[in-house]
Amino acid sequence: MFAYVIRRVLATIPVMALVALFVFSLLYLAPGDPAAVIAGDQATPQDVERIRASLGLDRPYLVRFGSWVWGILNGDMGVSIFTNLPVTTMIAQRIEPTLSLMILTLILAVTIAVPMGVVAAWKQGTLIDRAVMGFAVLGFSVPVFVVGYLLAYVFALELDWLPVQGYTALSKGFLPWLENLVLPAVALGGVYIALIARITRATMLEVLQQDYIRTARAKGAGQGSILFLHALKNAAVPIVTVIGIGIALLIGGAVVTESVFAIPGLGRLTVDAILRRDYPVIQGVVLLFSFVYVLVNLIIDLAYTLFDPRIRY
Amino acid sequence: MASATLLSPIEAAPPQGVAAAAPMPDVLPPVKPRKGFIGFVRRHPTMAIGGALLLLMVLVAIFAPLLGTTDPTALAPARRTREPSAMYWFGTDMLGRDVYSRVLYGARVSLIVGFSVAILASVVGLAIGMVSGYVRILDSIVMRVMDGLMSIPPILLAIALMALTRGSVQNVIIAITIAEIPRVSRLVRGVVLSLREQPYVEAAVAAGTRTPSIILRHILPNTLAPITVQATYICAAAMITEAILSFIGAGTPPTIPSWGNIMAEGRALWQVKPYIVFFPAIFLSITVLAVNLLGDGLRDALDPRMAKRL
Repeated sequence: MFAYVIRRVLATIPVMALVALFVFSLLYLAPGDPAAVIAGDQATPQDVERIRASLGLDRPYLVRFGSWVWGILNGDMGVSIFTNLPVTTMIAQRIEPTLSLMILTLILAVTIAVPMGVVAAWKQGTLIDRAVMGFAVLGFSVPVFVVGYLLAYVFALELDWLPVQGYTALSKGFLPWLENLVLPAVALGGVYIALIARITRATMLEVLQQDYIRTARAKGAGQGSILFLHALKNAAVPIVTVIGIGIALLIGGAVVTESVFAIPGLGRLTVDAILRRDYPVIQGVVLLFSFVYVLVNLIIDLAYTLFDPRIRY
Repeated sequence: MASATLLSPIEAAPPQGVAAAAPMPDVLPPVKPRKGFIGFVRRHPTMAIGGALLLLMVLVAIFAPLLGTTDPTALAPARRTREPSAMYWFGTDMLGRDVYSRVLYGARVSLIVGFSVAILASVVGLAIGMVSGYVRILDSIVMRVMDGLMSIPPILLAIALMALTRGSVQNVIIAITIAEIPRVSRLVRGVVLSLREQPYVEAAVAAGTRTPSIILRHILPNTLAPITVQATYICAAAMITEAILSFIGAGTPPTIPSWGNIMAEGRALWQVKPYIVFFPAIFLSITVLAVNLLGDGLRDALDPRMAKRL
């Protein structure tokens, strides 16, 4: 087991190195000369050359990559071209709303989607099953910003139940924080719920045909305990895997959701950075999101034994 | 007529006063699937609905100039932000452009991006997956690169790539294709690896068939079904990603009316003029839904074992 954990953790290093190489090449290949941008319009060619040397931009590709990686390992992601603030500071300022949104969406999606999938599998072929599957197709088809605008229009503009836009920090109270995040979380959760519900149903259908389910039924176990104890536990590994893979959907969706609901998070930061061509910020955000994504899936991989003790490493 | 005689094995009437169960035929009559268009619709309703909706969208995109549209880029500041009316079916935006015309022309961008990405990603992914499944030395290298690409969430990867270039339909297609390739390659590689273990492939190898002709005659045809299904889902994902890219200002240039652009332009005003956002949103959702339904139908038709499960 311990050896497996070590091996699995080590295996993420080349993956992250590749991600880092992609992300670094992004800045390397980016059009425009950062030295010229920093020097400004009035600068002479000598000034630009001096700045380029001071930034180390005249060194070869691999040397620059090495020093960039070294910087990141020491918590230095460079400086924003636009605001002149360190990228790490900018990310730190924006991380709370995004983290809040994602965690809330995750909780919401799992608590809705898993029971949905279980019930659909249990009532296979009935109207309930069809409704769940229909919802799943819709969830995959209606883009996150469409759901976002629709929800905001109905629940904020027309019914005036919830705020239309914005974010309130958790430190200012749980309820205002929640009020601002409910609509974005539901909008962002749509695809995710569809994905989890679909895989839950598919896996449950397979598990429910197993002999041990028939045995459980024969010994008189109740329907609820058959579904949620015997079956769901055995269906857990694929479901949890999809929950991990689906984090990518949440990350991509957060960029849009934050734009729709004017949430000052990392997604908004990404969009602003794209529009301003602020490459160090783009690099920082992409790297951070990818790192989180790899880390979450690593943890899930390692957690398989918790869900299914038959798995031995 | 042969089946009709088989249907009535017991001719004699049951004795009086005895409730007889309906006689069971020994041999069930063969189920003749209805042929032709109606038969197809009955057997594959999702594919038929999806296909019909998609066809409708394609026709709308092709014949946009004939469907009562005006120049989608014509500015008319005097009549900006008009509500939907008989004159302006979907209203006008803040520059006075006709939203109906813009939405109809926007179908072109979405469909071109969706179809192009689906085809390009499938072809490139097929090639990479094939090489990876057949050339063992390259396999681990290629798959590690794909792992790396896959650990960047696809929308984020497309955004990052778009940051490198100027916004154009072509660049959007390339960026989304690159983001989608890893998934196709993995799929193809998996299929190839399992096909190589199949008895008929082993038999072909034993019979001395050359590798190129094994690939061409045994491997390739068997990867086409899963790839076709995957391609429809990629098409749907690409259309959503294009809209997202355009919506956040990193996609098609504002001069081209695309659904994402129209929504991006309507964003500032959406609380007072929600229709500017909602009309392209409805078209986008219906189109993606059509492609997804088509994909689900294809999957069920091409792999009947999966049909019951997903």
